Amino acid sequence: MEAFAEISELKKQIDDFRLGPIDLTIEPGTINALVGNNGSGKSTLIKLMMDLATPDSGHIKIFRTRTDTSDETWKTKVAYLPQTPIGYNPYTGKDLKAITAPMYPDWDDEVFAEIAGKFHLPLDKKYGKLSQGMQQKLSLALTIPRNAPILILDEPTSFMDIPSKELLMDILTRWMDQGERTIIMASHQAADIMKLTDYLFVLQDGRMNGVFEKDTLVSSYKQYWLSTPLPNTTVPGEITRENQHIISNQPEQTEAFFRENHLPVTNRAALDLEEIIGLLLRQP
Amino acid sequence: MKLPIELSKDSREPIYHQIENQLKALIAGGQLAAGTSLPSIRALSKELEVSIITTRRAYQNLENNGFIRTAQGKGTFVAEIAAATKQQVKHDAVYQTMEDAVETALRYDYSTDQVEEIFHNIINTRKGD
Repeated sequence: MEAFAEISELKKQIDDFRLGPIDLTIEPGTINALVGNNGSGKSTLIKLMMDLATPDSGHIKIFRTRTDTSDETWKTKVAYLPQTPIGYNPYTGKDLKAITAPMYPDWDDEVFAEIAGKFHLPLDKKYGKLSQGMQQKLSLALTIPRNAPILILDEPTSFMDIPSKELLMDILTRWMDQGERTIIMASHQAADIMKLTDYLFVLQDGRMNGVFEKDTLVSSYKQYWLSTPLPNTTVPGEITRENQHIISNQPEQTEAFFRENHLPVTNRAALDLEEIIGLLLRQP
Repeated sequence: MKLPIELSKDSREPIYHQIENQLKALIAGGQLAAGTSLPSIRALSKELEVSIITTRRAYQNLENNGFIRTAQGKGTFVAEIAAATKQQVKHDAVYQTMEDAVETALRYDYSTDQVEEIFHNIINTRKGD
């Protein structure tokens, strides 16, 4: 299948922050999470993808069209929700829908009505008067129905309560099943979007720490509790240890080592994705 | 419809395999009758909090083995399966469980004789019930 988006050798320096080089491929039908601490470069990368900033080198292709050329047809293929939409404040939800809908040929009024209904959006109230959570929900209602094949959401859930997040996950799941689509979401709160994610792009201080398929990543980490003290030497696969507890990202090698050295394992367990991301982002 | 599938992240059995086997058991056991509509790969992935790569692999294996069928544009459905296949699934599930139990015992340095003794103890307790 043809990639929806391709990022090659992308680099950008802003003051003393360096992003890249970044290489990424976005496949159709996938939900991708950009994960990283604050200041890791998630939003910068998204802005570069949206041609809102100019890369120092490298390029981005969306449906085979380079975004840095005069051909701007790719823009109708992307729906983008920035962290803070600009210019919305004086308008009501109704106004904003009337302004937004005609700009997108595949705009779906039913999807808008469904999201507005589920989130109980007060469409007669001015955006600027809404709570931050409500603003976020209205912004999503103005973005998802554009039905562009690529949906980019920058921190879409940062002000949402748990039931609203659940609703959004349902909405996005159904949206994905209605065509050849892909989602790229940035979040520093990994737990929010992890349930839905297929691939994780882990950013750390502007560098791409790794691209991981979620379940492969989870299955590659295991933790063990031993009934005797651990040897002073490093155990194969060892990531971190404390007393008789050890975490490994090469469980097979670790277990072979335990067997060969007759180290009795009393317990073996998987790690949560959040813990794994924590470990990934902690490593130098 | 929500499927009664429960995944164990701590298990040594790969996740796709757990999904595949539990669906097989539901189909062979008759809880999912032929023609029942199954969730889309995306919907099941969300439900189970796994990636579509995992769910797709499970569905593909089930389809290749004739347990489910996909109708273009309509979705995925439970297939008609032969009585012999149902028997085979039950047989395999019981054998696999026994093998896993023996494997666990051997890992804890039990001898095969000891495993046999444990087996008899369990059976005798059952018979005594």
